[in-house]
Amino acid sequence: MSAMALRSLNLPGVGTKYEFETDKGDTVAIFFTKTGAVQMYTLQKGCRTPSAAEMSPVEARRLGNILTGAIIEADQESVEIAFSALADLRITIHTFFVTAAVVGKTIEDLQIRAKTGATVIAVCRHDRNIINPPPTFVFEEGDAALVIGESDQIKKFEREIMVN
Amino acid sequence: MESLIVALFVCLVLALVTKYLSIPAIPFYILAGVLLGKAGGGMLTNNEISQFFSEMGLIFLLFFMGLGLKPERIASNRTAVLTSGIIDLNVNMIIGFAAAYLLGFSFTESLIIASAFYISSTAMALTSLIENRKLMLRESDTVIWLMVFEDLVLIIFLALLSAGNQNLIIFFAKILAVLGILYALAHYGKEFLISILDRDDELPILFTFAAVLTTASFSMYLGVPETMMVIALGVAFATTDPDAFEQHARPFKDVFLVVFFVFFGVTVDFSGGANWFVIGAISILAVASKLISGLLTGIFIHDSALSGLEIWANTIARGEFSIALAVLYGSPLVGTTIAAMVIVTSIVGSFMAKYSGILRRGLVSHSRHKALTRRPH
Repeated sequence: MSAMALRSLNLPGVGTKYEFETDKGDTVAIFFTKTGAVQMYTLQKGCRTPSAAEMSPVEARRLGNILTGAIIEADQESVEIAFSALADLRITIHTFFVTAAVVGKTIEDLQIRAKTGATVIAVCRHDRNIINPPPTFVFEEGDAALVIGESDQIKKFEREIMVN
Repeated sequence: MESLIVALFVCLVLALVTKYLSIPAIPFYILAGVLLGKAGGGMLTNNEISQFFSEMGLIFLLFFMGLGLKPERIASNRTAVLTSGIIDLNVNMIIGFAAAYLLGFSFTESLIIASAFYISSTAMALTSLIENRKLMLRESDTVIWLMVFEDLVLIIFLALLSAGNQNLIIFFAKILAVLGILYALAHYGKEFLISILDRDDELPILFTFAAVLTTASFSMYLGVPETMMVIALGVAFATTDPDAFEQHARPFKDVFLVVFFVFFGVTVDFSGGANWFVIGAISILAVASKLISGLLTGIFIHDSALSGLEIWANTIARGEFSIALAVLYGSPLVGTTIAAMVIVTSIVGSFMAKYSGILRRGLVSHSRHKALTRRPH
């Protein structure tokens, strides 16, 4: 893999700029502005006028997830983190909207960890986050669960717990 | 008190409208002050409270500018920054001074008008680069560093203009002494400052406000310009945690600065004694002289007159610093001239910055067209 020349630059009064040129000669520049907005510019090789998109921090993170190759379905998203120092440990964090199969049941009833190996680390309910829900935690309709595990464990969770 | 509340309410509406239309708000704050002040039957009048708010606005503007000037931030392309800065300074100071002097202003007045004429609005230039999505253009870097250069020149102007008739040696010795104290405080008290800024209670914001006001009044007591000292305070604090200071000073700056602009407008009197020819000439020259300096910068730095046009479009607007100079050192007549120049240039500037892309493309296709038609068949 060739080393990609990524330049980062502090622009006084504006923010931070990251710029790099792809192997094919296109240029991508990202600006984190002081206003909080993130601007992304792409300049095709041989072109003079770049095209730009302005994103909120949330949108920028979304784009980041897409670019890192995480799966994004309608309203589910997933991030895979690779720890190269730990024998290439790859951990996936995935969000699921609970299905009828789990509503009204506790984490203990579902035997999530025993059956799949994955762990529910947070549940989002009515815009509030419940971190580390206890085994007695009862799922309700509309909950979004954040599940962590290896990608096989996540797939198992989706197959065996969410669909029943 | 009523004046202040009317002013704040009008500004709130203006801020909403200008943000919605994404045009600069500063000219409209001034116009509101003009229309509601002397010209508009005196609905707004300057009083002690508005005076105090305006002073705070100016002080926080300068403190903020100081925070942005981080000593360790030295441009990688120093020669380019220096070249563009010197072109910009010379062209605009010379044209501004010559114009003002020939139009009948005194030597000192011409110097103040020339300084206000020279210094572009950093706020408007940077906002326009971001809002018009021009950050990736190579001319943007030139514009951004030009603004830093102008800020540095402004500090020198403030020192020279406020020296007045004092003994220069004593004056600069006093300035150096205060600077030394500020740097020592920021250097040796760094950990203490950061521990204060990290707190969640009212302490960080209280500390920021008190530090700025104390510095201002202390330098007034010593007879050194408080404007310079609050900038120096900003630069000194920038060595600790500038982002935290920006965050805590921003609410003060935002509110007080708006009041500053409106009540500057109130002091402006276009009706009595204003010479429209002088005002018009200075305003038009202000747009034209940045075109000359922009084109020269474009040719020298980027080898392209079209780049110069882009630099011009983003630096036409004069704003907060020009007004600061008018308020600090200008006579009413100078103030009126600078007010008109700020209003004209900031409106022309915002328009040009928005449509500079179209202008450039138009010129390019026009010259191509000419080249094609000239080709012998």
